[in-house]
Amino acid sequence: MPTPNVAGFSTLRARAYLFRLPLFTRAVLAAIGLFWILGVQVWWDVRAWGALVPDKLGFATLYRLNTFPFIHLNVFHALMNALALTPLLERFESEYGTLTSLALFFGPLTTLPAFMYVAVEKWILRADTAVMGASMWVFVLLGMEAIRTYKANPYLVVGTHHIPTWTTPIALLLCVAALVPSSSFLGHLAGLLVGYICGLGYLKFLAPPERVLRWVEGKLNLLGRLPHYVSVDQKTYGRFGVLPSSGSPPPTSVALPLYPYPVPEHQAQPSRESFCEEHLGTAAGQDAKITSALQLRRDPRILKLPPYLSLLFVVVGAVWLFLLPLDQYSRRTYISENALLPGQVHTYFGGSDQNVFRAYKHEVNALAGKSNVEINNSLEPIVKGLGLKTARQNFTYHAAGRTYAGENLYAILQAPRGDATEAIVLVAAWENVKHELNRNGIPLALTLARYFKRWSLWSKDIILLLTPDSIAGPQAWVDAYHDAHDPSRVASLPLKSGLLQGAIAIDYAQEGRFESLHIVYDGVNGQLPNLDLINSVVSIARGQMGIDVALQEMWRHSDDYKDRLRTMLRGMLKQGLGLASGPHSSFIPYHVDAVTLRPFGEGWQDEMALGRVVEGSFRSLNNLLEHLHQSFFFYLLMHRERFVSIGTYLPSAMLVAANFTIMAIALWVKSGHSEGGGQATADSKTVTPANHAAERDLSLPLGVVTLCQVLSVIPLYLFNHVPESALTPLFITFALLNTLLPPVLSHLLATKTTFTLAQYDLVQCFSLLLLGMFLSSLATLNFSLALIIGLLAAPLSFVRPFSPSPTSGLKRIACAVLLNAVSPTAVLLAGALYWRLDVRSVLRDAAVAWHVTGTYSPVVVWCVWWPAWLAGQLIVLARPAPASASARRSNGAWAGDDGKVKGE
Amino acid sequence: MRQLFSLIFLSLLSLSVSSVHPSSSSSDYHEQLVLRPLPLSALLASFNFRSNTTFSEFEARNFRLFPRSLAQILQHAGTRELHLRFSLGRWDAESWGARPWDGAREGGTGVELWAWLEADTDEEADHKWLILTNALSGLFCASLNFIDATRTTRPVMSFQPEGDHPNSTVTNMHLLYGVLPHEVVCTENLTPFLKLLPCKGKAGIATLLDGHKLFDASWQSMAIDIRPICPSGGECVLQIEQTIDMVLDIERSKRPRDNPIPRPPPGHELPCDTSKPYHSHDTCFPADYKANQDWSLSQVFGKTIKGTCPLMDPTNPPVCLQIPDSRTVYISDGVVEKKNPDRNSRCFDIPPTADFEMVVTPPSDDDAAQTSPGAVGVLQPETPLLYAERSFTGHGQERGGVQTILRNPSPDREVEFVYMETLPWFMRIYLHTMEARIAGHNAAHNASLIQQVSYRPALDRARGTQLEVRMRVPAASTVFLTYDFEKSILRYTEYPPDANRGFDVAAAVITILNSNADKDAAGGRSAVYTLRTTSLLCSLPTPDFSMPYNVIIFTSTAIALAFGGMFNIIVRRFVAADEGPEVGLGALTGRLKGRLNGLLERLRRRTGNK
Repeated sequence: MPTPNVAGFSTLRARAYLFRLPLFTRAVLAAIGLFWILGVQVWWDVRAWGALVPDKLGFATLYRLNTFPFIHLNVFHALMNALALTPLLERFESEYGTLTSLALFFGPLTTLPAFMYVAVEKWILRADTAVMGASMWVFVLLGMEAIRTYKANPYLVVGTHHIPTWTTPIALLLCVAALVPSSSFLGHLAGLLVGYICGLGYLKFLAPPERVLRWVEGKLNLLGRLPHYVSVDQKTYGRFGVLPSSGSPPPTSVALPLYPYPVPEHQAQPSRESFCEEHLGTAAGQDAKITSALQLRRDPRILKLPPYLSLLFVVVGAVWLFLLPLDQYSRRTYISENALLPGQVHTYFGGSDQNVFRAYKHEVNALAGKSNVEINNSLEPIVKGLGLKTARQNFTYHAAGRTYAGENLYAILQAPRGDATEAIVLVAAWENVKHELNRNGIPLALTLARYFKRWSLWSKDIILLLTPDSIAGPQAWVDAYHDAHDPSRVASLPLKSGLLQGAIAIDYAQEGRFESLHIVYDGVNGQLPNLDLINSVVSIARGQMGIDVALQEMWRHSDDYKDRLRTMLRGMLKQGLGLASGPHSSFIPYHVDAVTLRPFGEGWQDEMALGRVVEGSFRSLNNLLEHLHQSFFFYLLMHRERFVSIGTYLPSAMLVAANFTIMAIALWVKSGHSEGGGQATADSKTVTPANHAAERDLSLPLGVVTLCQVLSVIPLYLFNHVPESALTPLFITFALLNTLLPPVLSHLLATKTTFTLAQYDLVQCFSLLLLGMFLSSLATLNFSLALIIGLLAAPLSFVRPFSPSPTSGLKRIACAVLLNAVSPTAVLLAGALYWRLDVRSVLRDAAVAWHVTGTYSPVVVWCVWWPAWLAGQLIVLARPAPASASARRSNGAWAGDDGKVKGE
Repeated sequence: MRQLFSLIFLSLLSLSVSSVHPSSSSSDYHEQLVLRPLPLSALLASFNFRSNTTFSEFEARNFRLFPRSLAQILQHAGTRELHLRFSLGRWDAESWGARPWDGAREGGTGVELWAWLEADTDEEADHKWLILTNALSGLFCASLNFIDATRTTRPVMSFQPEGDHPNSTVTNMHLLYGVLPHEVVCTENLTPFLKLLPCKGKAGIATLLDGHKLFDASWQSMAIDIRPICPSGGECVLQIEQTIDMVLDIERSKRPRDNPIPRPPPGHELPCDTSKPYHSHDTCFPADYKANQDWSLSQVFGKTIKGTCPLMDPTNPPVCLQIPDSRTVYISDGVVEKKNPDRNSRCFDIPPTADFEMVVTPPSDDDAAQTSPGAVGVLQPETPLLYAERSFTGHGQERGGVQTILRNPSPDREVEFVYMETLPWFMRIYLHTMEARIAGHNAAHNASLIQQVSYRPALDRARGTQLEVRMRVPAASTVFLTYDFEKSILRYTEYPPDANRGFDVAAAVITILNSNADKDAAGGRSAVYTLRTTSLLCSLPTPDFSMPYNVIIFTSTAIALAFGGMFNIIVRRFVAADEGPEVGLGALTGRLKGRLNGLLERLRRRTGNK
C-alpha cells in the first residue's frame, strides 16, 4: 500500500479526495460547520444547549448524547477535530456503508462512550465537566483502527523493544491531554475504550442486520437518489479494493469537474488511483501539476474572486469587532507586575489632614478667578513651606489664532533617603478639560504633598505639578522635562529629578462628596498607559476603599454585552481621535504611565477617600523596582476588569486594511490583462485565457495619484493654520470645493487626456495600495484610527468605472453622491451633528491638538484618507476613452454591475 | 639579646607611661561629635574618630589603636594612602548650605574607593588593586570586588594625595579609583566600620551609632581615610580617620521606634496659623516651621552617650553643638558646658563614666521674629562655592544627553574646578558634542570656560570612559555643561535581573581648586571644596525577556514529551542482558563469590592433592 507523503501531495488529488468524500462524512462535516456558525451569534447559547453536561443529563435532555460531537468550543477546535475526523470517518464509511455508519454513529458508538464518561464523571469523580466536540469519535475510530493494525502487524520493533501497535492511540491520548489545553482526558479515554471493544468485535451485535439494510436501500432506491452514497454491497470489497475496479463503476451521480485534465474518476478506490499515478511515471505527474497550476491561474473564477474576498475581509473585520466583548474573546484583567502589590498597605491619610485640606481649600477658593501668575505667587509659599523645592516654567503655544500661555508651578519632594534617580508625578491642573476650576483637586494635592513629606519610605522623588490648564501646561512641562521642547515657546526646567516612573492626575472639580471614581486613561495619539497601572488603581479603589470605578464615561455599567461593547467603542473612538483627554495624556508618549482620577456622582465618599486612593497608588508605584513593563500597552478595555489584548483585536483592523491591498493587486493583474482583445470561447468546458499580457502605461496614473497626495497638503495646512474665526467659513468652502473638485478633475481627464480603463484601474490600484500600506502600519500604532478610517474608506475598494450605457450617467451620479456621503468632510459634519458639537470647536480642538500635543490624526485624515477618497471619486466619475472595442467587453469580466462571466 | 632587652624596656616604658596618662602615648586617639541644627528641622551629626600609629610600629606589626585587620590588608596590597566612602541620599545644598568638611569626607551614592598603591608597573598596580578591593570587600561586607577593570579609572587631575609622601615613593605611586553607584549601603557595612574603632561602639560617642537611625537619615556618608602624616621634626605616623556624617530629620527621628508610622496627629495637636481668618476647630492652616525646634539627644538618637571612651584624648571635648548662644540647652549633671568665643557654638566635657543627655529647647519668640520661617534659631548656613545639578536630557532608547548645571553663587569670585565623570562603557559619549555655555550669554563668552580636557575613551566590555574637564564658572553665573551619548545594545546575558530598572551612572566629582595658590611643580593644586552630583539612572534598550522564555518553555515541553522518549530509544545502543558486564552491588558480590569459590576450589584441590 503506497504511503502518501508530503512530496506527493498535489492539489488535484486533494481536491479529488474532497469531492469524493462519502455522504455521511459530508453530512457530519456540514453539521459541525453549521453548529459552529450557530455558535457565533449571541442570543442562543448553542454550547450550553448541546454539550454533554453530566449534571444536566435527564430524560428530556438525552438529545445531548447525540448533539455533543457536533458542537465545538471555537473555530480552532472545530477545525482541528474536523481535520482529524475526516480521513477516519471516510475510511469507516466506505468500508461499512453509509447506512451502517449512520446507525452506529447515531447509536452505540456515540452513546456508549458518552454514558461511560457521564458515569465516571458523575459518580466516581463527582465532578461536572461539560464536554463537546468530535474528538471522542476520533478516538473511537482510532481505537478500531489500532486493533485492526494490531491484528495485521502486532508489534512495532524499535531496538529490542516490541511495542504493541494497539498502544499508539494511548500515546496520542497522552500527548493530546498534555499539549492541548482544556481537552477532556476522560472523554477521550472513554472513546478509545469503546473503540477497542468495537475493534475486537464485541459490538458486532449492535450493527443493524445486513438484510434489513439492503431491503431499506432497495425500497427507497437510495443508491439512485443520493449522491456519494456508499451502498451496503460496496462495503464487501471495501476500501482495500480487493475486487477489480472494472467490476462496477460507482453508481454515483457526481457532476464531472470542469477540467481539461482527466481526473481519475474511480470514486471508491482512492488507493488504486494513487497506485496508478505513482506507477505511471513521475513525468506525467509533473506535467499534470504544472498544467493544473496554469489552469488555475487562468481560471476565470480566480479573477472573479478578489472583490468577494475583499468584501469578506471587510465583513469579517467588522464582525470580529463585535465578537470581542464576548466572554470567549476577552479576558479578565490581572496584575502582572508582582512588585506593585496594590492595596496591600494600610493608608493613613485622613484625620487632622482634613483640617489642613479645608484650610488649603479656603486658600484656593480665594484665588479663583485670579491670573495665573497671582495664583502661583500665592501657592508657591505654601508649597515651599512644606519643605519642597519649587520652580516655575513659562510656556506659550499658538494655535488656531489663539495664544495658550501660562506658567507651571512644580515642586519636588525629594525622597528622604533616595537619590534623584527616579520620580513619580502628582498632577493637579487648575482647570480641567471642561474648564472647570479644580476646586478640590488642588487643595487635595497640596495636602497629600504635606502628608507624603512625613513618610520616610519613598524610594522615588515625588513631583507635585500644578498647571494652569489640563492640556498645554502638562505638555509643556513633560516636553521640557525630557528636553524635547522648543526653547522659544517653552522654557527649560530649572529643577529636575530622575526618570519619571508614573504619574497620577487629580481632577476633582465637583463640589461635595462623590460616589465613584472615573479613570481616564487615553493618551495622545491613542497611546495607552500600562494596563498594570489601571488595574492597580481599580484594585485599590474597589478592593481596598470600596469605591466603584467607571471607565469611558460609562457611569452605569452592568457588565453585559451591550455595556461592554459601548465602553469599548467609546474607548476606540477616543483612541482614534487621538486627543488629549486629561493632564495625564501628555505623559504617555514619553513612556511614563499615567491616569487621571475624576470622582463623579452623589455619594458618601469624601476628599480623604480619594486621597487614600492616591496614597495607595503612590505606595504601589513606589514599590516598583523596574519601570512598568510587564503587562499590556495595547489593549481595549470594555469593563474595569475585562480587556482584549492586541493579539485578539488586531486582526480586525488588519483584515480591513488587507482588503485594500488585495484589491490593489487584483487591479494590477487586471490592468495588465485587459488590453489586446481576448477571445472568449464559450463552446467548450475549458476556458482559454481571455486576455494576454499588455503594456501598462504607468506615468499618467502615477501622476494622478501623486497629484491627489500633493493636494492633500493644502487642507492639512489650512485647517491647522487658520485663525479660529475663519475655521467655519473655511470648512464650508472646502466642503463645497471638495464636492466640485472630482467632477472638474474627471472632466479634465476625460477631455484633455485619453485615459483608458486600464489607466483608471492603475489609478485605483496605486491609491488602494497606498491606503492599505498606510493603514496596516497605522494599525500597530493606533488600532482604532486605522479601523475607523479603514471602514469609512471600505467603499473605495468596490467602486468601478461605469461602462457606457444609457443609464450609466444616472448610475454614475448616484454613486458619486453616495461616495460623497463618506467623504472626510461629510463624516466630520455628521459626527459633529451627532454629538451636538460645533464644527468650529471640533476644528479648533484638532488644530490645538496638532500644535500642542502633536496629534497626528489630521495627517491620517487629510493625507491618507482624503487622497484615497479623491481617487475613488475620480474612478466613479470616470469616462474611459475606448482603447478598443474588445477592451470594453472584457472589462465586464468582473465589473460589479454586470457580472456576466465569459466561458460559462 | 640586646633587641629583646630593648623590647622589654620599651614595653615597660610604654606601660608606665600609659598608666600615668593613657593619651600621651605616641598613638593617640581623638573622637568628637559635632551637632549642628540645619534649617527645615534637620540636624547634622558629624562623628569623627582619629588615631595614629608610627611607621616603625606599623612596620613591626605592633598595632595598638590602629585596626589590625585593615593594617594587614594595607601592608599586603602595598597601599600608601586609602580613601573609602559609603554614602546614601543626597546633600540638599539649597537648604543646608555648604557641605561638612568642605566635602572632603563624602562620596557619591553607593561605594567609592580610591587609593595610591606602590607599584613599579601599571600591571602590578592593577594586581594590587585587585587584592585590595577583594580584601576590603570581605572586611566591609560590600560588593567592592565588583570594581573590576570596567569600573576602575586612573584620574589625572581630580585627586591629590592628602598625606605627606617622601619624594622617593611619589614616583611609583599609582592612583586608582573605583565606584559602585548601585551598591546599597546598609547596616552590614556599619558593623565592620564600628569594629575598627578602639572602643567598638561600646563607649563614647560611638554608642549613639545605631543602624536604625543612621540608615533612616536623609543623607549619610561613612568615610575611612588612611594617610601618612609627617609632622615637621617628628616621626612619620600613619593616620586613620573614620568619619560618619548624617543629616537627621528631627521630626522623623523623634517618632517612637515602636510606632514609626506618621499618623495624622489629633486635630488639637496640630500647630496652626491662627492668624488666618478662616481658622477654626476643624480648619487649620499648618504652621509646620514652628514644630520640631526642640529635641534631645535621646529623642533623636534613641539613647544617651554612655560615658567616654577611656582611650580618648581628654583634652578634646567629645561633643560640640553649633547653635546660637541665645538658645538654652539643658545638660546632664557633671557635664561642663564651654561656650566658644564665636557665640555660635559650645562644647561639652563629659565625665568618663557618666551618661550624657542634652535637651535643646525651642527658640524664643524673639529669635523667631528675626529670621525667616524654617530657619528659626539655627545658624545661617554657609553658602557653598558652587551648586551642581546633573540630569539626563532627551528620551528614547537610542541616544541621550547629560546636562550639568553649575551655578556660582558668589557675586565677585570666579570658581575653577575639575569636573570628573566615570561613565560605563555602554554609554558611548560623543566628545565633540561637549560644550559649556553660560546661561543668557552669547557664544563669545563660552570659549574660555573649558580650560583642559583629559579623556580616556571606553573600550567595549573592557573599560569605562574617564572624562576630566578643568573649567571655570565666572562670578554670579550659571554654566550648562552638556554632552551627548549613544546607548549600546547589550548582549542578552549582560543584562542584570532587573534589566528594566536601568543602569546606574556614578556621580560626577567636582573638585574646586584653590584659586590663590600658584600651580605646584607637579601640576596639581590643592582642593578647597569637593562636591558630588547625584547618580543617574540610564535606561538602555531592553528586550522582552519573557518572550524567549515562553518560547523556550513551550518548545522544551513539546520536545521533552513528544520526542524526548522516542529519541532516547532510537539513539541508545541496546544489548542483550547477558552480553554486557554486570554492574552494581550484585556484580560486586558475584565477583567476590567467584573469587571465594576459586580460592575454595584451589584449597580443596591442594588438600585433595595431599
